[in-house]
Amino acid sequence: MSFSNLKILSKLSYLKTNILKAGIFLGLTAYWSVILVGTFITFS
Amino acid sequence: MEVFLPIAQVPINVLEILFLSAIVGVLSGLFGVGGGFLMTPFLIFLGVPPTYAVANEANNILATSVSGSTTHYLKNTLDYKMGFMIVIGGSIGTLLGIYTFSYFKGIGKIDTLIALAYMYILAIIGSLMLVQGLGEIDKARKKIQIKKKLHVHYWIHGLPFRMRFQKSKLYESAFTPIIIGLMVGFIAAIMGIGGAFILVPAMIYIIGMPTKLIPGTSLFVTIFVSVIVTFLHAFNYGSIDLILVFLLVIGSIIGVQIGQKLGEKIESAGLKTLLAILLLAVGIAIAYDTFFVEHVEKEFIRVENKDLNSLSSLIKKFSEDMPIIYGLFSIFFAVGLGIAAAFIRRFFSDLRKKHFNKTV
Repeated sequence: MSFSNLKILSKLSYLKTNILKAGIFLGLTAYWSVILVGTFITFS
Repeated sequence: MEVFLPIAQVPINVLEILFLSAIVGVLSGLFGVGGGFLMTPFLIFLGVPPTYAVANEANNILATSVSGSTTHYLKNTLDYKMGFMIVIGGSIGTLLGIYTFSYFKGIGKIDTLIALAYMYILAIIGSLMLVQGLGEIDKARKKIQIKKKLHVHYWIHGLPFRMRFQKSKLYESAFTPIIIGLMVGFIAAIMGIGGAFILVPAMIYIIGMPTKLIPGTSLFVTIFVSVIVTFLHAFNYGSIDLILVFLLVIGSIIGVQIGQKLGEKIESAGLKTLLAILLLAVGIAIAYDTFFVEHVEKEFIRVENKDLNSLSSLIKKFSEDMPIIYGLFSIFFAVGLGIAAAFIRRFFSDLRKKHFNKTV
């Protein structure tokens, strides 16, 4: 029982890390999209 | 406490400038970067026109570089030969940068160019630092150690005209530091920064200099680049305001001392991530200001000489009547403040050591 609890905890921690990485990736993508689109609109 | 800048023709709050330049100085002392890429956007947000923000921040960087470089000279941690090779490239790059600056000023797009340059540079550095900082935290948590290769060779290491750099114990092409200097000078002239954030990683990863020689040599190069940028801005556009420079230098020098002391005590990976977030936040603020805010044409109120106090009138007259001498004076003013700060710091450091030895 305690062994399966440990597995669940480690999976949760792994999931949390992946969600955080995905969030950071999406944030940076949004940031770069704003800059690139803004530059394109300014010079078009 | 407001002061009217006679050259930039805008009022500024003295305490705000001192506080912000001290904060940027703390960050510079913590991370060993010039801070110009933070201070110039802050000056723009405070209402200083971008062309004046760029020129005056370059003069501020001159003072802080002289201060830091003097300290490294006293410790003998400078490679002059490598520094001069980078300066050769930096001089050419600065001239090209000023020419580009003049071109965009002529077509009325200089504010857009400066805003875009900052946006992209902050976005690139912020993104790289964020990824690197988070990666270091993750590896530290998992206790992973990665073996790095001692030297990685790129195409730049195959260039001709090799020469020996005794202090750094290197034998490589003279073109390597020259090309790096060219890029640094170009960006410095347009953005009013020292370029250390490009120079330091280039010195580590491309040139392969020993770490202890890098800060001193980088500061040494920044002196020359800043001198050329300051002089050309003063001579071509009359945009150096000594009152603003004085306030920036005082704040920065105090901040750098605090930052260097803090840097000895705080763990770096987490701070690197926080700095990255700050850079990205400033980049977003510039992007918002450039793309989404409607800019109302400000009524340019020309302040007549009789409305200025005696010091401001003197500075304005000096700048208009003798631009070359004013430019040289700005340079010597910044250099003098920088050297004075280095010797004052050394005096207090020696005093502290003597006091510590006595109590022990």
